[in-house]
This record gives sequence, C-alpha cells and structure tokens, in this order.
Amino acid sequence: MKNIISLALLHLALSLTFLPVSHGRGANLIETTCQSTPFYNLCVRTLQSDPRSSSADVSGLAHIGADKLKAKATAALGQITGLLKVAKDPKLKMALRDCVDYYNAIIKYDIPVAIEAVAKGDPKFGVQGANDAANEADACERRFKNQPNSRISASNKAVHDLSAVVASIVQLLL
Amino acid sequence: MFYKGWYHFFYQYNPNAAVWGDIVWGHAVSKDLIHWLHLPLAMVADQWYDKNGVWTGSATFLPDGNIVMLYTGSTEEAVQVQNLAYPADPSDPLLIHWVKYPGNPVLVPPPGINKKDFRDPTTAWLTSEGKWRITIGSKINKTGISLVYDTKDFINYEKLDGVLHAVPGTGMWECVDFFPVSKAQENGLDTSVNGPGVKHVVKVSLDDDRHDYYAIGTYHDKNGTWIPDQPGIDVGIGLRYDYGVYYAAKTFYDQNKNRRVLWGWIGESDSEAADMQKGWASVQSIPRTILFDNKTGTHLLQWPVEEIESLRLKINEFNGVRIQTGSVIPLDVGPATQLDVVAEFKIDKEALEKTTGSNETFSCSTSGGAAERGALGPFGLLVLADDSLSEQTPVYFYIAKGSDGNLKTFFCNDQSRSSAASDVNKQIYGSFVPVLKGENLSLRILVDHSIIESFAQGGRTVITSRVYPTKAIYGAARVFLFNNATDASVTATLKIWQMNSAFIRPYPNDEKFLKDLKQM
Repeated sequence: MKNIISLALLHLALSLTFLPVSHGRGANLIETTCQSTPFYNLCVRTLQSDPRSSSADVSGLAHIGADKLKAKATAALGQITGLLKVAKDPKLKMALRDCVDYYNAIIKYDIPVAIEAVAKGDPKFGVQGANDAANEADACERRFKNQPNSRISASNKAVHDLSAVVASIVQLLL
Repeated sequence: MFYKGWYHFFYQYNPNAAVWGDIVWGHAVSKDLIHWLHLPLAMVADQWYDKNGVWTGSATFLPDGNIVMLYTGSTEEAVQVQNLAYPADPSDPLLIHWVKYPGNPVLVPPPGINKKDFRDPTTAWLTSEGKWRITIGSKINKTGISLVYDTKDFINYEKLDGVLHAVPGTGMWECVDFFPVSKAQENGLDTSVNGPGVKHVVKVSLDDDRHDYYAIGTYHDKNGTWIPDQPGIDVGIGLRYDYGVYYAAKTFYDQNKNRRVLWGWIGESDSEAADMQKGWASVQSIPRTILFDNKTGTHLLQWPVEEIESLRLKINEFNGVRIQTGSVIPLDVGPATQLDVVAEFKIDKEALEKTTGSNETFSCSTSGGAAERGALGPFGLLVLADDSLSEQTPVYFYIAKGSDGNLKTFFCNDQSRSSAASDVNKQIYGSFVPVLKGENLSLRILVDHSIIESFAQGGRTVITSRVYPTKAIYGAARVFLFNNATDASVTATLKIWQMNSAFIRPYPNDEKFLKDLKQM
C-alpha cells in the first residue's frame, strides 16, 4: 500500500514537473510570463489581482491584462472628461479634448482588437493594438508637456506601462 | 485573378471599423488594374467554420476554366480550417455570388499542428502525377514550415509526410506563396509550370516581424520539397519583397497578359486614433509584375504594372542636372503630391576611386538618415517636401566603400522628418541594393499623398513608405534633388509626370447598370 502511494506521489510529482508551460497554472506561469514584460512588478500585481489568473494559460493572462487595461483607461478617460467640464483655459481644453480622442481609440479599438485577435488566433494584431494603446497614452502625455498635470500624468503612465505589459504577453503567443 | 475580361481582387475587410476584426471578403473588379469598381462582399462569416473570420485564401483555375477557391476559416471555436468555395454562377463575369461547399471544412489542422497555426492555403499547381498540390504555412515551436497536400478534387486531401521547406527561428509562416519564374524569359509563368528553364520562389509573411520574405530555389516534384539556392539567405532570413510597410503579399498568374502580378497590403504608420477619425485604414500597393533577375541571379524584380502609365499627364524632363556636394535643387513640376518619377544618377567617378574606404558597416535603419553625410552619399530625391524643407521624405542612395575598395550601395527612405506630427512612424527603411558593373543608379518613385513606392535598379530593392505631412500637402508639396555627400558630386537625369487620379466607383444597386457592365 505504502509503495503504491509513493509511486502515485512520485508520478504526480513528475507530471507536475514536466507539464508544458502552455498548460501550466498558477503563480509560476504568471511569474514566467511577466518576466518577458518590461514591467515585472506591475504585471504580477495586475494579473494576481484577478481570481481568473490562477487557472489561466498565456492567452487567458493576455485577456485578463487587456481587461485590467480597459478598466485603467476608462478611469483615465473619466478623469479627463471631469477636468474638461471645469476647464477654462482654451489651450487646456484643446489638450484635454485630444486626450479624449486618444483614450477613445484605446477603449473602443485597441483593447477590443487585442482581445479579439488573441481569441481568434491572429495575435500580431493584438500586439499592434496594445502597442498603439501605449502610444496613445504617450500622445496624451505629450499634450501636457508645457502644462504639467500630475493627476493625468500618473494615469497616462499607468496606461502606457500596462499596455506595454499586455503587448509583451500577446507577443508570447506569436 | 483574371476572369472573363475582368481583374478580380478579393481582400480582407472589416466592414465595422478601421481596425482589424470581423474579417470578411471584400471584392472589387477592374479592366486595367488601376480603375476599380467595388462589388458586394463576396463571402461573410455565416457558417460555423468561418464564424470567427473569413481569412486568406487562393483561387485555382481548373483546366476547363472554372475556379475553385480555398480559404481559411476561423471556426466558432477559433480553430483554423480550410474551406472550399466556388462561384455561384460561372457565367457571371463579375462573380458576385459565391457558394461554400456544404461539406466544409475540407482540411483541419493535422496531428502535431496547433489549431491556431494552420492558415492561408496557396493556389494549387499540378504535379507530374496529375494531382493538384497546395501548401499551407504553419510552425512547430519556432520553426516556420509549409505543409503540403495533394488532391484530385479539392475535397479529399492526402498530406505529404515532409514539408515543402522549414527554417528554424522564423516563427509562424503566414500567406505562403509558391510560384515558378522563368530564368531567361521576361514573362510570367502559370503556377503549374516546371522544367529546366524554371526556378521556384517560396515567399512567406512572417508573423513575428510583419515582413514579407522570399527566396529562390529548386522545386522537387517527386517528394514535394524545395531547396533554396542560397541557404544563407533562406526564406525568412534573407531578402524581402519590400523594406518598408508591405505585408501579406500574394501573386497571381495573369493569363491575359502572360505576367505574374504581385499584390501587397500597405498598412498605416499613424495611430489608431487617427485611423478612427479618418474612418478608414490600409491601402493596396499599385500591382507589380514579378520577374527573375537573371543579371544577379539572386533577386526578383518588381515593377509597377504598365497600366499605371495611363495615369500619366504632364511630363517634366531634367537632363544632366549636376548636384554639387551638400546641395538641394528644387524641381519645378507643379503640384507634387501625385507623381511618377523615373531617375538616373551618375556619381563622380574620380571621387569613387579616390575616397578611402573604411571598415564601418552601414545600415539604413541605424544610420542618421539623409542628414548623415558620408563621402559617397546620401543623394537622391526629397519628396512630399515643403518649400522650407521643414517636412521632407528623402528617397536616396548611399554608397559605402569598404577597406578593400569594394563599393556597396544602399537604398533608403528616411521618414524622420516626414511630418511635424508626433504620432507617426519616423523610422528609416532600406537595404543593400546590388549594382552591377556598368549600371547607373536608377530609381522609380510613385508618390501619392501619403504613400511612396520606390524602386531601385529596376525593382531589385523596393521600399514602400506611409508618411503623413501636415504642411507638404496638396499645392504646398514640392520635390527636390539633393546630394549630401562630402566627396562626390552627382549628375541626375529625370522624367517626372503629374499623375491623374484613378477614381474608384462604389457599388451601384442598379440592375441595369450591372447588366450593361457585364456586357462590356
């Protein structure tokens, strides 16, 4: 009896050791996946904050990342439209309006395309979408070069960095 | 393809947004590859086996003149399968309606192949046993491969044991194209042609870097394999069709004019936000003929189809214009947003000989662009430039002299100052271009607002760029000659034509119109 249990345990241990990465689960996969992104800590924190991540494969992690990105971008857009309502300076208003356009592109196009591309099996469009999201956030930040606005800056950086993370994760699927 | 008097173009289209998604088959027809008429969508995602996308496919002509179409569907579970379709009415020259074979899919991913790595079937060719053969790109880990299938009826297939070819490290092979080229003759060959005077080209679109690569080699019909002439520049690690923005290209044999014609997708280089506001994204290149370059033996030659010349209007000729080192010369051609430029450059021979060579390696993309001065380059043209040159896109040659005295010529497009806008691509594209003894440097450029297609040495090296000037537009756009070399003066001879616009007609929901059209 003891021998059978030992064998079973050994077998279990061996099969866990040799599980191919794409079927791996849990913290290990999150860590290895995040290692190929430019912002490891952000990546791990973000993915672990979603309960789905413990049983997701790389495609699943990409999807979770995209969902989190959408939430961040939506919050940033809310911030921007709020500021736009009370803004008086015409230059500031123009900059904010441009940012509304950039964030609309992220939320309406970049992220849905990324999710669809991963799901349907043509991930390079997902990489493109996520990279574009990072660029759009950068474009918004550039509009405030001469009028530093720390609240939007923090959001822009958060969206930019998470976009770069998502792009790297999707890149793994190529 | 060319069918009953019309050139047909089927393309990947998203009817709902200016980004990738919801992919269906768009369709347009033309008599001359230049003036097009939009037709209704040829195929939409209305079956379980293409619910998630009606993706790339290819047409094959049967000996009786009928067409079969094989295409990739992404099923409702996102599995990539191959499906058969054919014209609903072969007597309709416009081929408006298509029927999907009820027994689809005809091919599913074979064992050992990932269900998301199996797409883009090629045009079929006849084997010596009289069967039809196709190839489909895929990958195993990071090795790009092309699977081979034989069929007699396009419904039942036998998979060959090996692959057409494989190259490690290249990743997924998309849009594989496989076709013969004549070694000596200047015409195209039907896809089934084989023989001693023929070489075969394998072309792949690499998912990993979004570039199209090709290699020339020998096809072995018996076992369905292909060997490159030069493994050092094998598929995916060697030559590219185009060193700019050009992807998912495909050729077809045009039996109307006995030529092989290449189509390429030119994406945008701006942001999605801009595309959203434009309401559209992506264009097709002007179709190009493809020939084997028997002078180098290693390259293909691409050239805009001759029909483009029908758009030529007023010509301006400039003969023997001497461009001193460090100078810019305006060319008075009138509006400079739609141009066809044919140019030849002679570089000062003495300077070529006298200049000391160096060990430094040059590459367009890592160079400082047209502003970085070398002894023997850069020199060429500035297109889509404004009067003050605050915006400009240089299309140019750069000659590098090695320490052994050998000359190496590079051909580049410099987008770094192409626009005052900050959300556009500003890279420098380009590559080495073979220049043989006795050849002058020659250039052809098609300028079209935001698209620049440039061809060096008769099409040995080609670069397509998308630029988005904010000032050098419409009446304010200019074209200049320039020579930023330090040691050599250059003499240029050019012909520049104003180009007419090629109006594209929308699909009219008019039965009489269509009836008249079909009788043309």
